Amino acid sequence: MSYLNLIERLRIPTYDNEEYATTGRVRIDHEKCNGCGMCAMICPGNALYIAGEGKNKKAYLEKDFPQCMSCNNCAAICERDAIIVNVTYDFGYFYKILHRGEMKPPRKF
Amino acid sequence: MAEKENKKTPDVQNWNSVEKVIFERRSVRKYRDKQVPENLIRRVLEAGRFAPSAGNCQPWKFIVLRDKEMINEMERDVIRLCKVFKFLMDWRRPGLIGKIAWLNAQVSIRLMPNKLHPIPFGAISLIADGKLGVFHGAPTIIFILKDRRGVGNPDLDCGICGQNMVLAAYSLGLSTCWIGFAILLAYGPKWKRRLGIGFPYELVEGICIGYPVGNPNGIIPRETHEIDWYEHGEKKTMF
Repeated sequence: MSYLNLIERLRIPTYDNEEYATTGRVRIDHEKCNGCGMCAMICPGNALYIAGEGKNKKAYLEKDFPQCMSCNNCAAICERDAIIVNVTYDFGYFYKILHRGEMKPPRKF
Repeated sequence: MAEKENKKTPDVQNWNSVEKVIFERRSVRKYRDKQVPENLIRRVLEAGRFAPSAGNCQPWKFIVLRDKEMINEMERDVIRLCKVFKFLMDWRRPGLIGKIAWLNAQVSIRLMPNKLHPIPFGAISLIADGKLGVFHGAPTIIFILKDRRGVGNPDLDCGICGQNMVLAAYSLGLSTCWIGFAILLAYGPKWKRRLGIGFPYELVEGICIGYPVGNPNGIIPRETHEIDWYEHGEKKTMF
């Protein structure tokens, strides 16, 4: 049984190109976000930035290839529950993600 | 114990204290400029000392760094090395240099598919550009060295030992982050000589410890992983 075919095994994706790579993505609830900047500060991939003035100060995800590794640190630090990862990263071909399901908080059985 | 109002799962489930530590601990990349008391670091190291290891060989040695000057110098050296790697492998530049870098990157990735996985590859350029810190301003850093003569798989034993320390640190109200980039320091002779790292020891990981800015810990969702489950002569797949 093989999980990657030969092409996938040999092909290392050029991951500066969005055609091959899906980076992580976050969903930001701009109703709740007050632009405090904690998420942008904690983000290890520097994928978030704060823009706007006064009441319109909000967090945004970088448009040009955000280096989000879907760690959810932003969700953990947000005091207002305004941000959460909704797409996890996948680089395709050699690095394609195998055998994972949807995101869930810890469950009790 | 670092207490936090659990906002993500409102029906506060009754995790026991160990589960709580495991689920709530997050890697922290921004620390307050406040030194951790020595006795707490000693307690963390004790947790590492009692980690299980193959054949009870305990193939580790710790180096504790609490000297701000030294940590800053290390940070500068790691950044310098990342700049070199970025120069050698960043193919997003135009012209011949870009083409050579592309070739270089393609060869290196095939030789080191784990070290140059897209995530650390991106981190190298972020560190080189000064957008991501290395030690994140942590007041204390623990380096884990492995004894290369250990039983079986000494790298794994060092990982187990580190996880003990990291969880113990969180239970004491400290935050931690694993710093894999610390091994770049052992690529050259300078820090190997200064820290006295020689055979049989090899630097495998760094852990930075400190008090976090804000409250970055908490329960978050994570991907579920497929589990094959064999029981009563049949196979089930579950998540």
